[in-house]
Amino acid sequence: MKNTDRLFGSLELLILKTLAAGPNHGFGITLHVETVSKGLLHMEEGSLYPALHRLERERLISGEWRQTDNGRRARIYALTAAGRKRLAENEASWSSVSLGIERVLRFA
Amino acid sequence: MTRAIEWLKRLFHRDSAWQEEIESHLAMRADWHRQRGAAPNAARTRAARDFGSPLRALEAVRAVHRAPWLDALAQDARHGLRVIRRSPAFSLAAVATLAVGIGASTAVFSVVDLLLFRSLPYPRAERLVSVGFSGPIDTNEFNVGNAYLDWRDHQRVFAAMTSMYPAGECDLGASPALRVPCVQVESNFLATLGIVPAAGRDFHPLDDRPGAPKVALLSYTMWQSRFGGDPGAVGKTISLDDAPVRVIGFLPRSFEMPQLGEADVLFAEQLDEGVARAPRSTVFLRTFARLKDGVGADTARQQMLPLFQDSVRRYVPPQLQREVGLVVRSLRDRQIHDVKLASWLLFGAVLALVALACANVANLMLARAASRRKELAMRAALGAGRGRLARQMFTESLLLSLAGGTAGCVFAWGLLRAVVAMAPQALPRLPQARIDARVLLFALAVSFAAAIATGLLPAWERLSSAALAGWHSAGDGRSWSRPVLVATQVAISLVLLTGASLLVRSLWKLESESLGFQPRRVVAAAFTLNRHRYNSAAKQDAFYAEVERHLASIPGVSRFALSDTIPPSGGMRGRPFSNMRIAGHPPLPEQGGMVAFRYVTPGYFRTLGIPILAGRDFDEKERSGTATPLILSESLAQRMFPAENPVGQQIDLDVSGHWQPVVGVASDVKNSGLTDAPQPEYYRLRTNRSNELGLSGVALLETPLDAGALERWVRRQMADIDPALPVTIETIEAKVDRLSERPRFLAVLIALFAAFGLLLAAIGLYGVLSFLVAQRTREIGVRIALGATPGQIARMAVRQAAAWTLAGMAAGWAGSAALARLARGALFQVSPFDPLSLAAAALVLATATAIAAWRPARRAARVDPAVSLREE
Repeated sequence: MKNTDRLFGSLELLILKTLAAGPNHGFGITLHVETVSKGLLHMEEGSLYPALHRLERERLISGEWRQTDNGRRARIYALTAAGRKRLAENEASWSSVSLGIERVLRFA
Repeated sequence: MTRAIEWLKRLFHRDSAWQEEIESHLAMRADWHRQRGAAPNAARTRAARDFGSPLRALEAVRAVHRAPWLDALAQDARHGLRVIRRSPAFSLAAVATLAVGIGASTAVFSVVDLLLFRSLPYPRAERLVSVGFSGPIDTNEFNVGNAYLDWRDHQRVFAAMTSMYPAGECDLGASPALRVPCVQVESNFLATLGIVPAAGRDFHPLDDRPGAPKVALLSYTMWQSRFGGDPGAVGKTISLDDAPVRVIGFLPRSFEMPQLGEADVLFAEQLDEGVARAPRSTVFLRTFARLKDGVGADTARQQMLPLFQDSVRRYVPPQLQREVGLVVRSLRDRQIHDVKLASWLLFGAVLALVALACANVANLMLARAASRRKELAMRAALGAGRGRLARQMFTESLLLSLAGGTAGCVFAWGLLRAVVAMAPQALPRLPQARIDARVLLFALAVSFAAAIATGLLPAWERLSSAALAGWHSAGDGRSWSRPVLVATQVAISLVLLTGASLLVRSLWKLESESLGFQPRRVVAAAFTLNRHRYNSAAKQDAFYAEVERHLASIPGVSRFALSDTIPPSGGMRGRPFSNMRIAGHPPLPEQGGMVAFRYVTPGYFRTLGIPILAGRDFDEKERSGTATPLILSESLAQRMFPAENPVGQQIDLDVSGHWQPVVGVASDVKNSGLTDAPQPEYYRLRTNRSNELGLSGVALLETPLDAGALERWVRRQMADIDPALPVTIETIEAKVDRLSERPRFLAVLIALFAAFGLLLAAIGLYGVLSFLVAQRTREIGVRIALGATPGQIARMAVRQAAAWTLAGMAAGWAGSAALARLARGALFQVSPFDPLSLAAAALVLATATAIAAWRPARRAARVDPAVSLREE
């Protein structure tokens, strides 16, 4: 997953997609991606937070300090309306890009 | 300030929140590892390994929130600070130079801003004008009841006209009463100015009808001191001049009278139109107006001319008709009419000083360019763009300018305090001058301008020359900018010096100007009686008799006199010259203006040291006699009796049929300031049987003792006679001294700025010459090796300095000549082309530059060819 954030903003896409399932904190997002990808994708945790803050600055997500179920304080992020729209766009473009790459790879 | 702290707090709080977020992530990851069976310690270690460097993450988060331009700026600033720290002597010199320039200009701006730029405290103040007659009686325009009412009724250029009586005084409260400034104003006065009372109501036209119940508006200060600022005080009744007056409101704190007079109480004017409209009206008013939109003051004056001419024809005595004019001018001009030029001169002088300081610093930066060329070439080679390098150099000069500006503000604060302490009355509003936000903004603007001026030229020079390409350091390719800068400095400095020397010479003439009298150790005690308590001639006479009895008997008083007014501060009574008749002579010509007069006791001439030129002084015995002798001033005697002996002639002063003998001729005195020509005047003897002095009087006491001790005696004696009477006590010397306060103030400040300027120019020349000598050491070494004598080498250096200086001086003379016309009004009996002043300024400048050139020239002459040729 080293280059996912550079490749077509895939880190951004993963964050947005994860939050579409419901508000979550940074660690929760990491865990979600690992679990759902069945261990194929492993997020670099250090670069998650700059990405989260960048998304928040762009008002695609909004963060809020809250108590988690096991009693820890964490910053919970939720998707905004703009974030939802961006997710739809990125999903579409990701699909076409990955389809395109797949076709190129298959061609040889 | 608190806003800044709040902002910083949020900034730090934000940072710690980001940190907490990362820590919470690590803790949750550790929990997760623990749940999968790891020991607590191992869980934490693993969590940390999973995460990577938290510091780098935090830095990356910070970078998200930081603007990119801020990053570059911070980098530039860091680099600039490093450069500044690396050459402390250079930086200190630059900052100090800029501090002097910016500080002086900021201090002066804080003073002239109030006079020239800051808007007056009225809504749309630029539409307000002062309207009236100009005439020989008053330095400011005035109006007369009949003319004002005609104008008000028929004018079409003003949205509103309003009037006030010249300032007066009244007694507030019961005994002991407080004497406060009271002004009677028309009911639309505040409305015309656009002022709404802070509490209560404005005057109503009904309040303005003669005989209406007396109502008043009080000043904000009065409201606070008398009523503690209580809005419920509206409607209370106070005692003014022993009559009950209802307070209808209070003025706002920022309220200012349009003529800048004092006013603690405003009354309704209650102008009796019948009285005011009389053809020989004696109702004198100050009148103001608000211009209609789209009408300028000049247009308004043009359109008012027919009304004015009609008034002159109908109301002004024929012998004075030629001497009156119509004035319509902005309120600002009315307020600063006699200091406008002085303000602009001061402001111009400090701006010149700022220019000098900038030229100096630019020069310093250029000198340093040589030593930094390698660094810049390196940076350019490493890929820094030309724009980036220019920006970096600009950041450096900006840092220096801001440091200079900060130091300058401190300097300005000190300078302003010194200036105000030196002469609080020299300019109107001077004591109100403060270093406030607006002034600080000016300092900031000047700092930025200085940064541009000092940073741009070197940046352009360094980046445009082959500097960026070359590593070699020999030869500078003879840059033009440095000599031009030096010549500019010399030129500006010469203009400043010329101005200063003209002003000093004018001041010297002014101070040595004869007043026509020579008071020594004379104390004047001036007072004005309350017209309600001294409402009869008998009461006034009794008072004056008491004054004479008490004061003349003070031990240590060698001479004593009583008069209604004294020179040199004006305020005298006057009559038309043409009203006088001489027994046995044809009538005097119609024109001739006003003749001033005063009532004096016989000691007057001796106390003030006014010589009697012919005939004799008044005699004490005459005061109880029936004769009414006159003494004429020299110029009046000349005019009335050009070919005869005035002594012994009989004069009728105002067509009354009462003939009075001329017993003497006194030397002329200056009655209204040092610069005015002596007015013709006559003296009447104050006898023992009338209230000729009126309500105002001045007692003159000469003493061989200490004036301060006498002042206490006089105060005590006056308090014995009337404890409630305010008395102003002052030595005549102090009074005379005050007359030249403003020219002295101007001359001292401009001379100070010229001295700063000269110093900067000399330092600039010294720096450039030293630099060039250092740079040409090799060349000089070769020349010496080839047989040049030290004398020739020194001459070579000096010739260069002389060429720049002469070029600068030529430009400076041209500049002085161009500015001469403007300065003429500030000079007294000195032509702006006064050869002595011009020569003195040039001599001072030449001396200073010679001193500045001396050391570098000597250093050049002492170059050792063996050493210099081995150097590289």
